[in-house]
Amino acid sequence: MTSCVDFINTLSPCLVRAGWNADLANLLSLLLGVVIVATVPLLTVILLIWIERKFAARIQDRIGPNRVGPYGLLQSLADALKMLTKEDITPSGADRILFNLAPIITFATVVLIWAIVPFTPLHIGADLSIGILYFVAVGSIGAVKVMIGGWSSNNKYALLGAFRTIALIVSYEVPMILALLVPVLMAGSMGMQDLTRAQGGMWFIVMSPLAAIIFFVANLAETGRSPFDLLEAESELIAGYNIEYSGFKFGMFMAGEFMHVFTVAVLTAVLFLGGWWGPFVDQVPALGFIWLGLKTAVVYLFMLLIRNTVPRFRIDQVMNINWKFMVPLSIVLILLQSFLLRLIDALGLRPAPELANDLLANLPQTLVLLAGNLVLGAIFMHLLQRHGRTLREADEALAVVKGEAAPAGGMAEA
Amino acid sequence: MDVVADKTQLDISASVELLRERWPDAISHDNRDGFSGIIVDPAQLDDVALAMRDELGFDYLSSVTGVDYLGVADHMEVVYHAYRTSGGPALVFKAQTGRDDPRVPSLVSVWPGADFQEREAYDLYGIHFEGHPDLRRILLWDGFDGHPLRKDWQEAYYEEEHKPFDSRWPGGQVYRAEEKNVFGKNVKYPDDFDLGRLNDVSESDLYQGLGLGVDVQALDSDGLRTDRLVVNLGPHHPSTHGVFRMVVTLDGETIASLDPVMGYLHRNHEKIGERNSFLHNLPFTDRLDYISSMSNNLGYALAVEQLLSQGARYSPPTYRAECLRVLMVELTRIVNHLWSLGFLLNDLGAFFTPMLYANNEREKILDFFEATAGSRLMCNYMRFAGVYRDIPERIRSVANLVNDKVRDYNTMDYLTEMVNERLPRFLDEYDTLLTRNEILRERTVGVGVLLPEDAIALSTCGPLLRASGVPYDVRRADPYSIYPELDFDIPIGKNGDIYDRFLVRFQEMRESVRILRQILPRLERSQGEEVMSKVAHTPRVPVGEAYGRVENPKGELGYYVVSEGDPKGPQNPWRYHVRAPSFINLTALGPMCVGHKVADVVTILGSIDIVLGETDR
Amino acid sequence: METLNEWAFVGVFFAIAWVFPALPIIGAWLVRPKKPNALKKQTYESGVETVGDTWVQFRVQYYIYGLVFLIFDVEMIFLFPWAVAYERLDWFAYGAGFLFIFLLTDALIYAWRKRALEWV
Repeated sequence: MTSCVDFINTLSPCLVRAGWNADLANLLSLLLGVVIVATVPLLTVILLIWIERKFAARIQDRIGPNRVGPYGLLQSLADALKMLTKEDITPSGADRILFNLAPIITFATVVLIWAIVPFTPLHIGADLSIGILYFVAVGSIGAVKVMIGGWSSNNKYALLGAFRTIALIVSYEVPMILALLVPVLMAGSMGMQDLTRAQGGMWFIVMSPLAAIIFFVANLAETGRSPFDLLEAESELIAGYNIEYSGFKFGMFMAGEFMHVFTVAVLTAVLFLGGWWGPFVDQVPALGFIWLGLKTAVVYLFMLLIRNTVPRFRIDQVMNINWKFMVPLSIVLILLQSFLLRLIDALGLRPAPELANDLLANLPQTLVLLAGNLVLGAIFMHLLQRHGRTLREADEALAVVKGEAAPAGGMAEA
Repeated sequence: MDVVADKTQLDISASVELLRERWPDAISHDNRDGFSGIIVDPAQLDDVALAMRDELGFDYLSSVTGVDYLGVADHMEVVYHAYRTSGGPALVFKAQTGRDDPRVPSLVSVWPGADFQEREAYDLYGIHFEGHPDLRRILLWDGFDGHPLRKDWQEAYYEEEHKPFDSRWPGGQVYRAEEKNVFGKNVKYPDDFDLGRLNDVSESDLYQGLGLGVDVQALDSDGLRTDRLVVNLGPHHPSTHGVFRMVVTLDGETIASLDPVMGYLHRNHEKIGERNSFLHNLPFTDRLDYISSMSNNLGYALAVEQLLSQGARYSPPTYRAECLRVLMVELTRIVNHLWSLGFLLNDLGAFFTPMLYANNEREKILDFFEATAGSRLMCNYMRFAGVYRDIPERIRSVANLVNDKVRDYNTMDYLTEMVNERLPRFLDEYDTLLTRNEILRERTVGVGVLLPEDAIALSTCGPLLRASGVPYDVRRADPYSIYPELDFDIPIGKNGDIYDRFLVRFQEMRESVRILRQILPRLERSQGEEVMSKVAHTPRVPVGEAYGRVENPKGELGYYVVSEGDPKGPQNPWRYHVRAPSFINLTALGPMCVGHKVADVVTILGSIDIVLGETDR
Repeated sequence: METLNEWAFVGVFFAIAWVFPALPIIGAWLVRPKKPNALKKQTYESGVETVGDTWVQFRVQYYIYGLVFLIFDVEMIFLFPWAVAYERLDWFAYGAGFLFIFLLTDALIYAWRKRALEWV
């Protein structure tokens, strides 16, 4: 009733009435839906690359692309055209089938995630009852693609990149999934539309900021963005797993990466920033698309800001942060969150179902949850700080300036 | 002179006397005109060197190099310059050996820092250093025929000894010898030529020489069999700062061994130097450490001025010229450190932003270089007994666009604003952004530690040495120019890790700004003074030797120049040796890297701050 | 019917998603120049020839990470139904979920103490 499929399904009775075969009409409308949903990210990625480059340029005191088209808007198209005409080299030692498969998987898996993104209250590719699980499952293929690309290239840097992937992407999935449990707990559903609708009164980022942060950071790692860009590590492994790729296959990796980042931004917006919720969305559902776009833009630009301003972690540090900080934190968070929800029920702070979308009615439970999150966050940050201090106490020191008085001045040369 | 209880306080002549008393037969004074130091019998060299280091306190071996005296005297000479890290002049000692089978004992066991320099002398002169642990060619490839710095070695294409080469322009016709060579043109392969079948054995020789073999296996602690991975980082790698190569054996991601391979940019700078006239060499020094060409100029000018001052018709640089030199050199230090810090951050994985911020400031300094010397990078500004010209009245600054227009400024105002406001402001800002950054500290504190005693033994210099806690700065230890009258401190580190190097560089920029603040009023005062003393355009340099060294931003840059041959004073250096800080600092790379991760290697290399123009020469 | 249709959408999506990246690659294959030679096809290793085998038997530590992840991943999936039905659970089911999470934590601590989480 609320999905894109049904929306287009109104098309199929029309076609049947016009004398079409019912099955054929059904299939046609289905295909149309798929193409529409898949084209949205494809078109945005062209714009995204421009935004990313322009944004990075502004941070770095540069102008950025400004030659092709107005404000350099057509730069990405020009790049795509260039890549189309570039020779594509497959190294002689590579495993050809896997080598060619990797870029396709990269892109396809990211596109697949879009099937469950709710654009407006009425428009969604497929409102699966296990939307979150679908995201986790499809997202996990991301690790596979890097592994395939890195291994099949028969290149040592690529292999090292792939090594790191096994560890990094796969490890960060653990806190990510745990963080995803929190919205599910609060919404009582795994469907994306249900999760969005549950945020009518208050966004989940306010009700559980820790979960939002863990999800965001874990996704930064999943997408291989700074400070977790160890898969590519341009200054160490040159380009990591995609080093041997050229021509459009490389382009696919690039586009896939950009799109992945954007997809992650969209999902953060959907899961924690209220998705399509916004003023007047009840009256005009199509507005939801704009609200979602705006929220996504905020998350996306924040990711760009991080990318352009922080150095990279080392692989062992990244793993330590994950297993020794984020995983314990998310486990404790789950326990805390579920306990607090029970507590709220017991105290009767949960708003009545008809008031679920009312901000004021949501305030008491929000405050309880927020307070719990903040306290937990503060405790963990304190532990981290103390640990860091003890680790470094021994060898942290500022440079000592040895003041050497100058001999009497003014002895001008002859 | 009274009896000094502590022999490490003895001055040079007393030290030499002490050594001569002990080894009367093995040690003699170098009595040639214009030469100094002592000549040690190679048979006793080990013992003498040990005594110098342990008893007399000459713990820092700055330079080792060979000289071929074919035609003058029929021997080769290895020249050593040893210093005390507490400061003071050099103890110069030489070992002479026959030309046919030159053999000198290796001093690597005494000063490990001699490692690369002895390999270089072996490479270029064919001098065998007996007892050297790993005597291979270092700059040239293994199949190279001959030793190019020997005076009887003939270079392909070049029929004559000195420039200008008449044979290349017979009768005004431009003709290049390489045009007659089949490889002179763009290489065209024969029809049946298959690059895939091309078999080069020198690589496999290299790996075997490194003990890396092809199938390196190791048992890890659990007794599981794991293969080690041999990876080449470089020569074409974004973080090796040029065509530098590290052959790395990896155990997982941990470095099991690392061997630097260099020479990809080798052009035999020193051979070129011998064929140029003394003045010709000045612009060539720019190409050594192309980030800080001004300082390179100064070092060479100092060395040649030492020689010139022995002869007639020479007057030293004027006060204003000295001020200008220090001004340029200190600006260069800031330029270089901005560059190196920016790239260190790049190596750490910050996506170009810190580098571009630093570059922004650097460009403004380069504007000044361009206005004064005519070039931004290859300044070629210093001259013997002065500088090329005075600073101009006005300066067009292309890096300071106002509404997309290039403005021009009064030069002194431009400098004053830069030194008093812009640079300090920028340094503070940069400091705020970087120094307390958690990731930066996490990545650098405790990584690549170099202990002070190792740093001295390995002959490292510059910020690398000082970050290890050794307050050795040539500007103070062996002062030149007007540095004695300037007020500045030497920042030193405590732990000798990457973070300390980072901080030391930062602080050095601040000290440079402090020096510049003292220079500007001196420039105002000396307005109108000549900047170039009278000296012939093609100076005839008196016979003799000189070692001029300066504290380059990257470390101690030394020029060992020998003027020999024509008794009237030759036009060309007989020997022109560059003691390149980047080259010698790399000795410490391997020991610093082992046990760290791959990601740390590029950071450690970045913290050494090398430039391949200087490393490979 | 409803849900089935949703899954049909996903099925079609799965089939079509591969077409999107494959099309431009095939398109590029049509227009791009093809002049391979042995030198071009060499593996890139900073400009020098590769030495030794790339597909080596690498360190076991990576495998351990994979294992730890697998355990966690599988166990965590079981938490989702628990979370979905959370509001309807009685105290016993709630406690069972807690116990399950504690077991998870226990596994983490075990791996931690066994130094399985140390990177090499």
